[in-house]
Amino acid sequence: MLFPTATFAIFFMVVLPLSWLLMSRGERWRPFIVASSYVFYSAWDWRFVFLLAFSTVWNQVFAVAIHKRTEARTRKALLTAAVVGDVALLGYFKYYGFFVTSTHNLFSLVDLNVPLEVRSIVLPVGISFFTFMGISYIVDTYRGDFEPVGFGKFAAYLSFFPHLVAGPIVRPGELLPQFDSPRDPRYVDTSRAFFLIGTGLFMKVVIANYLAGSIVDQVFGAPNQHSSLEVLVGIYAYAVQIYADFFGYTNIAIGLALILGFRFPQNFDSPYAAVSIQDFWRRWHMTLSRWLRDYLYIPLGGNRGSRLFTYRNLMLTMLLGGLWHGAGWTFVAWGAIHGTALVAERWWRERPGLVERPSTPWRRSWHRFATFQVVCFAWIFFRADSFADAWDVIVRLFTAWGEPSPLVTGGVLAAIAVGIGSQYLPSRFPLAIMARFSRLPIPAQAAVLSLALLVTHAMGPEGVAPFIYFQF
Amino acid sequence: MARDANTRRRRPRQRVAEGGRRLQPAGSAVVVLLVALLVSVLLNAPGLHKSAAIQPQGWKRDVALAMTGPLEAVSDALLLDQPRAALKAVLGRSDDDEIDTAVAVPKPTPTEPAGNDEPTTPVRREKFSPQRKLRFWVAGDSLVVVPGESLLRAAGGSPVLDPVGPVDGRIASGLERPDVFNWFKHVRKQLREEKPRAIVLMFGGNDDHDFMTGLPEGTEIGAFGSPSWTAEYRRRVGGIMDMVTRAGGYLVWIGLPITRDAEQTSRFDAINAIVHSEAERRPGRVSYLDTYFYFAGDDGGYAQYLTNDAGRLVKMRADDGVHFERPAGDLIAREVLRRLNQRYDLTSWRRS
Repeated sequence: MLFPTATFAIFFMVVLPLSWLLMSRGERWRPFIVASSYVFYSAWDWRFVFLLAFSTVWNQVFAVAIHKRTEARTRKALLTAAVVGDVALLGYFKYYGFFVTSTHNLFSLVDLNVPLEVRSIVLPVGISFFTFMGISYIVDTYRGDFEPVGFGKFAAYLSFFPHLVAGPIVRPGELLPQFDSPRDPRYVDTSRAFFLIGTGLFMKVVIANYLAGSIVDQVFGAPNQHSSLEVLVGIYAYAVQIYADFFGYTNIAIGLALILGFRFPQNFDSPYAAVSIQDFWRRWHMTLSRWLRDYLYIPLGGNRGSRLFTYRNLMLTMLLGGLWHGAGWTFVAWGAIHGTALVAERWWRERPGLVERPSTPWRRSWHRFATFQVVCFAWIFFRADSFADAWDVIVRLFTAWGEPSPLVTGGVLAAIAVGIGSQYLPSRFPLAIMARFSRLPIPAQAAVLSLALLVTHAMGPEGVAPFIYFQF
Repeated sequence: MARDANTRRRRPRQRVAEGGRRLQPAGSAVVVLLVALLVSVLLNAPGLHKSAAIQPQGWKRDVALAMTGPLEAVSDALLLDQPRAALKAVLGRSDDDEIDTAVAVPKPTPTEPAGNDEPTTPVRREKFSPQRKLRFWVAGDSLVVVPGESLLRAAGGSPVLDPVGPVDGRIASGLERPDVFNWFKHVRKQLREEKPRAIVLMFGGNDDHDFMTGLPEGTEIGAFGSPSWTAEYRRRVGGIMDMVTRAGGYLVWIGLPITRDAEQTSRFDAINAIVHSEAERRPGRVSYLDTYFYFAGDDGGYAQYLTNDAGRLVKMRADDGVHFERPAGDLIAREVLRRLNQRYDLTSWRRS
């Protein structure tokens, strides 16, 4: 059940009033929202509802057990078992084929034939997201950040449909306390919610789909059929497409949660305005960045050691972050590029004899430009099906200048400009729009939303492609 | 005064969030959303009706059509569909909301009997060179996208091959449902405008159902695979083949592959049998490419991973058990190119 569909609109218009009617009675609201979320999830494949239920039971049982025990060794053993179980589940569904083919091909290099069984496994949508949220719950309980909540509350936290299939990755401490007390139905941040949903729909349905169909799929599908200019614009277009797609999804998810009375953390903060790769990761998929920092980078030792130790931890975190996005070596390469850039930046900043130069607008612009180029270079590997495909794109980028470029149209350039330019808008603009909208009478608000839906639907393609991040 | 005071007591205090926006009661949100959705449904009624119509056959489609049909009528009567029409016109996409089910295929001509692989008269291998390139077009449902891209990549390395455009792959389309996408109209248009000499098509991935639109008046068809269904599907396949060949094109029709779902595979077999026999009736002009065994494992069944020529285990099929991954596309593209080389002289220019 994709957000930008009539089916979801009907589903949500049933769930929304009922959720508010039941809100004052948590013992009724929680089973209701869990059931609604399971209905939402079963629209993809009903069998995976059992997987989600299993993950819920698994994490809850271990969290309670960890909380009850006082002996450090037992607690640690339970933590390890719980996390290994979570990772094994994710590994089986997401990485089994990758592991088997990689192992087979590694041994075949030395003419060893390892009889490994390859199976056809369907990847359950959202498994990477709810597994990470389950691990957060376990680890935070182990760390004593909070006590495990009741089963119903945890089930609601893990399955809450706005974040279920593609995040944002909401930490237990961010959402569970909101389940403790009923949301106040008198004060709902509707103007922000509608703004987020409206912009999210526009970015996904219009910008992302348009760029995908107009240039990105063609350039990455057969780069040697396109000029260097088309390839360059195609890479930039992909950068905007993936941003519009994921930012759009996240905006809709945050907006839906907000209408239901719940606040999700921000997931994007103008990432293409970043002045460094480190800054980029503070702005791109922020909930994943924080997760990787708190549950991977810091447990690995973070920067509490020598420089080389810190560089190693940065690299490992980014490599695993890359692998999280997809079971393929190209994703690992994407992580490696980001890891290398982070290490290089750190080394540059900490080099002996560094003289701090004052930040000027020109310097900041140059840093933004350079950061965007590195990010776009990394996106080539993220989008390409293989290293050979990525290499074809890179080679073509330098070898076909001057050839005709029919794909570089005004529409494509305008869509790229909207995608990037929107990240440079001062925050007071959206705030002013939301404030003005909130002061409109209800019929006028409905009229504005109707027009926004008209424009989005009319400008969008027939049908809506799945969100890119669903495959992760 | 007393009434005012009561009203004041009952009304919640207005709260303001960051930027000065007012927070509103949940009831307002429900009302705004509901009204906005209802109005936008009327504004977008033609598009929604088309979306309903092109859904797969079943109760969901029936319900959607029952809802969107009257809405479209109301929208039309109140002229609420005009803003959308104007917007579509500005975007140059006025045809988007049209449902065109016309199956305009040429009348069949007496053809060669089936089962004759060899052309009855030797076909002259027309020469192509970097100065006179072979224009080719790749089109079909979503299954053609990956092999089509492989073909385009291969063509990028050849100075003789000239694709007329990107891979023309239309998701969820086929020959059963011209309402989803009218291939009969589109193929004719492409042949007329782009004049490709080699045409690579792949259809059928969405055609394994009982339901067809665009039936000749008074015609009814039975279930998938029934004699009436087969006759109508054969008419459409043959019609596309005739369109291409009468325009002077050489057609390579890629057959449907084995899939993870055994039942689907058997339905694909039925479609392949129709396409294969129709291709055999047009020797030297249509070539049927059987992909079945390319993607079968050692046991003859479906295999998602296969060992390639270099001994590497590669993922051939996508996770849905139907679509192709790049290595599979490369495999098909290689065979298509081999057939184009058989049919046309694409290499002798090197010697001259």
